[in-house]
Amino acid sequence: MSPTSSAEQPASRPVLEVQAVAPSVEPTDTSGTLPGTGSRGRQLVSPAVHTIELRKQYPRTVALEGLSITVRRGEIFGFLGPNGAGKTTAVKLLLSLVRPTGGEAMVLGAPVGDVETRRRIGYLPELFRFQGWLTAREVLLLHCRLLRLPSAQWNAMVGDALATVGLSDRGQDKVGGFSKGMQQRLGLGVALLGAPELVVLDEPTSALDPVGRHHVREIIRDLRARGATVFLNTHLLEEVEHVCDRVAVIDKGQTIATGTISELIGQQSSVRLKVSGLDERWWERLAGFGRWSIEGEWLLVEAIEPQQIPDLVGAIVGLGGRVAAVVPEHKSLEDRFLELLGEA
Amino acid sequence: MNATFVIARLTVREAARRKLIAVFLVLTVAMVSLSAWGFYRLAHTRSVTSGDAQLAVPQALILFMFMFSFVVALSASAIASPAVSAEIESGVLQTVVTRPIRRSEVIIGKWLGLAFLVAGYSVVVAGMEMAVVDWVSGFLPPNPVAVAVYLFSEGAVLLTLVLTISTRLSTLATGVLGVALFGSAWLAGVVGALGTTFKISALRTVGQVARYVLPTDGLWHGAIYYLEPSRFITRVVAEASGSGGNPFFALAPPSWQYLTYSAIWFLAVLGLGLVSFERREI
Repeated sequence: MSPTSSAEQPASRPVLEVQAVAPSVEPTDTSGTLPGTGSRGRQLVSPAVHTIELRKQYPRTVALEGLSITVRRGEIFGFLGPNGAGKTTAVKLLLSLVRPTGGEAMVLGAPVGDVETRRRIGYLPELFRFQGWLTAREVLLLHCRLLRLPSAQWNAMVGDALATVGLSDRGQDKVGGFSKGMQQRLGLGVALLGAPELVVLDEPTSALDPVGRHHVREIIRDLRARGATVFLNTHLLEEVEHVCDRVAVIDKGQTIATGTISELIGQQSSVRLKVSGLDERWWERLAGFGRWSIEGEWLLVEAIEPQQIPDLVGAIVGLGGRVAAVVPEHKSLEDRFLELLGEA
Repeated sequence: MNATFVIARLTVREAARRKLIAVFLVLTVAMVSLSAWGFYRLAHTRSVTSGDAQLAVPQALILFMFMFSFVVALSASAIASPAVSAEIESGVLQTVVTRPIRRSEVIIGKWLGLAFLVAGYSVVVAGMEMAVVDWVSGFLPPNPVAVAVYLFSEGAVLLTLVLTISTRLSTLATGVLGVALFGSAWLAGVVGALGTTFKISALRTVGQVARYVLPTDGLWHGAIYYLEPSRFITRVVAEASGSGGNPFFALAPPSWQYLTYSAIWFLAVLGLGLVSFERREI
């Protein structure tokens, strides 16, 4: 799907819409019914997260300006934006830690704040702090109690959580003595308790070393493998590229793009060619492949579909040209991100 | 286990883990032992007649219990002031309130845990002090249970107010405010007593109003009354000795109307705390 501009967005910067705002429907899961579908008698699954023009305004600032996103069940959804973009505010709204000043939001088919729905949600806050006077094991047991999990399973669940986040040998240690990275690991363990359907991770690797980050990515992929939805709030593009199925980019409280990584970056790329032996009218014959320009001894073809590159090379050879080098150039997520933010 | 009791248990456990309970127990044993020595000397010194001792021992006990009531009230304020605010500031509450638990359960759980600590301390300190005084001097207040209950009530009132304030203000501001309000209420009680003695209606009104704004001093006077032997009250009344101005004397226990008002005050302030925390953005 190619990017299109939205005429309805008041923002001055380009807005990329690559997916319909309407909630996605997955017929395999029948845990809920979308509004308006009941008359057809068809059981449909509600999205993991669905917001419509969600807004949060403080007396002196607008933290979130009309957030409309849909997170499908079972996907890893990256929520991307620069510092201060409104990402954490959006997460707090979804978890009912703060109240919206406008718009609507549904989480796992229920309005935000629904107490029973919280049983199916795991949350790692950006500010991960736990009772420092408890041991890691006791913190996890506390959350087993708060989740009202069957007491017979507590030991196994706590053991599994500690093992998953690599803290098996520190379970009896006081959390107050943990490094930031270990506390973040513990926070992830707490978020995973009770096999939640939706796991909201707010900057989950901010305190971790590269090995820890790799480990967290594996945990996130495991969550997807067992069918959980992950809402990954981050400003780390590398993290998004590695694990996310789809992404929303927000800035200054507004959504400026949503889609898969490839949709976000765009299908079109460019290619550099070192060519000799073409006659003077070559460009008339090759104009349909993209925008041409000459940079020294290189020809630069922009806005070309990647699958057209072999055809282009074939056409040049067909015209009697000799191709010494072909260098495809793909736009990185970072390039696109900066472009969206108007920083490129 | 109900989420309220999970939070209450966690609150008590924190006090134990942070050695708060151990510190209070050691301090109480030391102070009660010291008072035992003092009361023994007071009751068994030849220069003090038995009649004087019969009046001096209850008065000294009231002074000691006043000191303990101060410790109860200020401790209640100290443990309640960070109960919510510190956990909001640190972020600890974010993972708790996003569990399938109502915010009201967090506040009521914390109140129960803190009230259990205040009640435990009130019973232990009042029980130990009165038992020791009885042992060394033979004087036992007419109603020791009522003394402990009023001591706890005074602490519980301040605890409830500070917990409610803690849902909105910082730990430091809440702690300072709690101590200042308690001190002001006590001082207003003294001012009111002076107003009664010297028949200055404005001062008397200050004392009356303060007792309704914050019922700590009014409830403390309930503890005083049940510490006083009846012959002590009779003698003061007979001599018309002007004890209306004495902040350590009570002619009558708090009326049932005042106790009812105090109960309503408690429920209203706790309710305010619940609403405040429900609306608090974390």
